[in-house]
Amino acid sequence: MITAGIDIGAKTVKVVVLKDGKVAGKAIDLSGFDQRGTSDRLFRKALAEAGADIKDVRMIVATGAGKGEFPHANDPVTEVTADARGANVIHPKGRTVISVGAEEGRAIRTDAQGRVVDFAVNEKCAAGAGAFTESMARALELKVEDLGPLSLQSTNAVPMNAQCAVFAESEVVSLVHAGTSKQDISRAIHDAIASRISSMARRISVENDVVLIGGVAKNKGFVESLKRDLATEVFVPQDPEFISALGAAHIAFEKASKQGGN
Amino acid sequence: MLEMYKEWFDARHEYAKEWKEKSGGKVMGYFCTYAPEEIMYAAGILPVRILGSHEPQDVTEPHIFAMFCPFCRDCLAQGLKGRYDYLDGIMISQSCLHIRQAFTSWKMHIPTQYSYYLPMPMKVQSPRALPYLRAELENFKKSLEEWTGNKITDDDLRNGIELMNENRRLMHQVYEMRKKDNPPITGLDSMYMVVSSQMTHKQEHSRITRDVINELGKKENGRKTGERLMIIGSEDDDSKFIQMCESVGATFVIDDHCTGSRYFWNEVEPNGDPLTAIAKRYIERPPCPSKDWEERRRIPHILQLAADWKVKGAVLIQQKFCDPHELDTPAIRKALEGKGIKTLFLELDVTVPIGQFRTRVEALLEMLQEEDLF
Repeated sequence: MITAGIDIGAKTVKVVVLKDGKVAGKAIDLSGFDQRGTSDRLFRKALAEAGADIKDVRMIVATGAGKGEFPHANDPVTEVTADARGANVIHPKGRTVISVGAEEGRAIRTDAQGRVVDFAVNEKCAAGAGAFTESMARALELKVEDLGPLSLQSTNAVPMNAQCAVFAESEVVSLVHAGTSKQDISRAIHDAIASRISSMARRISVENDVVLIGGVAKNKGFVESLKRDLATEVFVPQDPEFISALGAAHIAFEKASKQGGN
Repeated sequence: MLEMYKEWFDARHEYAKEWKEKSGGKVMGYFCTYAPEEIMYAAGILPVRILGSHEPQDVTEPHIFAMFCPFCRDCLAQGLKGRYDYLDGIMISQSCLHIRQAFTSWKMHIPTQYSYYLPMPMKVQSPRALPYLRAELENFKKSLEEWTGNKITDDDLRNGIELMNENRRLMHQVYEMRKKDNPPITGLDSMYMVVSSQMTHKQEHSRITRDVINELGKKENGRKTGERLMIIGSEDDDSKFIQMCESVGATFVIDDHCTGSRYFWNEVEPNGDPLTAIAKRYIERPPCPSKDWEERRRIPHILQLAADWKVKGAVLIQQKFCDPHELDTPAIRKALEGKGIKTLFLELDVTVPIGQFRTRVEALLEMLQEEDLF
């Protein structure tokens, strides 16, 4: 049985295709302006990778900020539920899911079945999300992917306030003027986001294991900062940006299985 | 008939101006639902509640701290923009610090013929609250008599009481209907009903509400109820928010907020001295959190409402920076969760981020339905 999950995020679209509940195809690309076109293209690409035809697809579940943009989807599900489900599939011992994407950070507490017990989402502000690292990298004249490795070389913890992404940029400029090294500033940036995310996670109370998903989980500097802040191990699955789409695909699989047939 | 409530809600200023023109009477703007409207009706005055417009504004910065709640700033903005220019007077029954600031700024900066600060006791649970408030109501009555030049008799007060009580009874009847498995009225229309009653003459509102009750009794509601939700908070007249929640598979069947049940829940028991009877009603009404101490009487009241209206989930929504509500929130959530009722906490600003809130409300609904989902 073929089922699919599509996560139409603020910055990228992710598709996961399952064959009998096992991952058979994946695709990702920038959302761009035409989210519908991008979604359609990626959906076909993931299907081709799975060697499946569009008419074999039993059920599609969409999630993400643009979940309404994919007309082929049978059902929508919120990012919160999709994250929780996906994290549970990958790491069943996980009880706290932290999901950090381009524009949104979420903390979700789940039970053993991956059901949502409580959750918190960042307010009208990008200071605890991926877009923040991008603007900070710009201020440091670095590529965003270099920020993580650089911060791991830091020797000093420099306090920085990330109440606001715009003001934080001027704080970075001040640090540059004070002669702080790029390594230390990079770490300060990650510490600042981690502190935003941790305080959100503490609102719902953090329970082990902690699973970190979303595109920002690929940033090793951020992962280190988060571990330090939460003072606990943080599990980062492979391809963390696909976990929400994976969750949606599993919800589709379970719904279709309930309906019977193959 | 139901459409009338929304029409009044949308055209609140036109309504009051028209009433004034037709009747030649005075219109008084009040800031908090502890205002004793019985006495104003007895004086032939139309009391209207001052509410915000839910539009971003930039005129209150010199008058109210930015960390005071968006609602009190929104209210003052309406005055500064001249939208309430037809008011003959303003009054407040002492409540939280933020709305008091809106009142005092209004008094200082917007020319109004009459203003009155009624020192409503904060500690309503004290045995001294009742005699204190009775005496203050007497002062308020005298002040109104001086202003209008007319004496307010006990019979006038009794008429004011009956006018208010009748309206309260009728709205109660509508709320009773919301206990049904398929409530004939949405949370949005219920909110329009209550808020419009704060903006129109009670006699007219009661007349329409009698018709509404008739209509609701007959009508089959074609709408799916979905999850039965409760909304708890301060003034929740954000129609866009309520509409959004009710468009994603849920219905608000009951509430505890001052643009809802808290406003009209209990009646004046019209025995003996009318001023004592009125004072007793305001002392004993379902309390605003700023007055609910030392004992938290709101909590058993909220739990009872949730049980009687068969609530599955609750949305706690408060104005940003509202300390009294925020202080109550953990205790209320704990009490509700203890009864198996899932909760979602949100903060209102002048405008709400509707897309973000939709995701959170949908996630709450998914939590309520999770047994079916997996």
